[in-house]
Amino acid sequence: MPPILSLDRVTKNFAGLIALKGVSFELQQGGIYGLIGPNGAGKTTLLSIIAGSIQPTSGAVIFEGRNLIGIKSFGVVRAGVVRTHQVPKPFRALSVLENVEVGMRFGHSQSSASDPQSGAQILEWVGIAHLAHASAATLSVGDQKRLELARALAARPTLLLCDEVCSGLTESETACILSLLCRIEKSGTTILYVEHNLRAVMSVSHHVIVMNYGQKLAEGSPQIVQNDPAVIEAYIGRTTNTDGREPRTKSVA
Amino acid sequence: MKAAGKSGVSGFAPAAMPYLLLAVLIVLPFFGPGPNTVRLLFVTFVWVTVSIAWNILGGFGGQVSFGFAVFYGLGAYTAALAVNSGLHTVLALLLAAGVAALASLAIGLPTFRLRGPYFAIATIGVSEAVRVVMTNVSMTGGASGYRILETRPFHQLDHFYIALGLAVLAVAASAGIRRSSFGLALIAIRENEDAASDLGVNAFRAKLLAHACAAALTGAAGGVYAQYAAFIHPQGVFAFSIGVAILLMPIIGGVGTIWGPVIGGVVYGLIHEELVASFPQLHLLIYGSLLILIVLFEPAGLFGLLDRWFRVLAGARRIRAANP
Repeated sequence: MPPILSLDRVTKNFAGLIALKGVSFELQQGGIYGLIGPNGAGKTTLLSIIAGSIQPTSGAVIFEGRNLIGIKSFGVVRAGVVRTHQVPKPFRALSVLENVEVGMRFGHSQSSASDPQSGAQILEWVGIAHLAHASAATLSVGDQKRLELARALAARPTLLLCDEVCSGLTESETACILSLLCRIEKSGTTILYVEHNLRAVMSVSHHVIVMNYGQKLAEGSPQIVQNDPAVIEAYIGRTTNTDGREPRTKSVA
Repeated sequence: MKAAGKSGVSGFAPAAMPYLLLAVLIVLPFFGPGPNTVRLLFVTFVWVTVSIAWNILGGFGGQVSFGFAVFYGLGAYTAALAVNSGLHTVLALLLAAGVAALASLAIGLPTFRLRGPYFAIATIGVSEAVRVVMTNVSMTGGASGYRILETRPFHQLDHFYIALGLAVLAVAASAGIRRSSFGLALIAIRENEDAASDLGVNAFRAKLLAHACAAALTGAAGGVYAQYAAFIHPQGVFAFSIGVAILLMPIIGGVGTIWGPVIGGVVYGLIHEELVASFPQLHLLIYGSLLILIVLFEPAGLFGLLDRWFRVLAGARRIRAANP
């Protein structure tokens, strides 16, 4: 089966800074793909490039056989790739339900039978149905994260790009969001999940891609990646001497 | 531009009130008001129309433009030229609306690539440039202005009803846009343009369309005014102060709402026309003081204030009903 998304040597330079350097990987239809890496590894930049928010310096992003390079973010959404934001961006003057309506009315141009039929149904799904008529400005951080997900789901994504949906949440809130991601994946949506919280991302992903300094470091199942010496080095640091002393910490996840 | 929340604010204005008001305005001329009253109402309708028009782009879409005098002036000149070449009044107004809408595309295509204050500043530049050009166009008399040759006798009430009709059309357009997907897209753009784009909204096209709708209404209003005044000149209809006045009306009334800009237009119409005559030195002071008070104490505008009063009244009534 051809991959649903394939990145071919994606490079992004911000003036003198190389944010991404020749990143290539493929996602197959279905499943949750984790995208991890230390601070500044280029995870969010990569997500923004796939979503069309920024254009890469070179390389190709092929989604369902179509090159997304040069297509603006609204066009990428209409093709079926929808993102959430690390810092929620609710439309504060609108109600929670109206926020979701924006995604429903302008999202992916094709819909399938499994897509939710109404905004109320989506709010029910993410667990904020009781807030449907509340102003989006009054939501707590946790509910804002849920609204961010609800809005993206309303746009009927084939590929959902989640940017740190669990940051700033309590453990129980994180557990709720993770089980929600699993339900979204079961309904047939492929998810690319960027997350800082390693425990969270390892628990739901079937395949993990690790980035460091704008390059792909490793990829594979969570077990393989966790035991990869290069990944351990990037996250924990490197043993500088072999006489059994504590390894020095270079960077902490 | 910070908006005053949702349009159909609860509590205020029973559904029948606008229709009642319209009925009163339609029959009013039969009770013989003086020509001065009719003129005051006519001018108020013109202001109400442009106030609503600005609100479509600035209130719903959050794009603050200082350049609406361009559309008002182009509409005025287009209608004047059309009438002088023998076109029917209504056709002349349609043409005025069309020319203003085309101009809005020409202005919007480059300027909507800018955001926030940069867009606002660009509209100031465009407005001034158009005024200077029109001051030097010899076909329309340049700085000395342009006169409509009156071939028919002047009927003040014809102008009154045309202006009233246009204001009603503007309210209907504004309410229709607010309820539509287009309106939802505009509000989403105002609240967060990037987030709107990330949900599939083509922000650039939505802004262009809102600009064109607003320009068409403003151009038609300029055309209505020109036919009434029969004489227009660039320092009048293209004046920067007109552009500022058009922007201040919806802010005073309640930006981002349906009825706020109507209230703003009425207040400006009355203050401007009445006070200019009575207190030529003081009217700007009164207008300015009103603006400062509103921005300081009621950012939702007069509509927000009225809405709050009505809520308090409704609450008091409920309490009385519960404790007889």
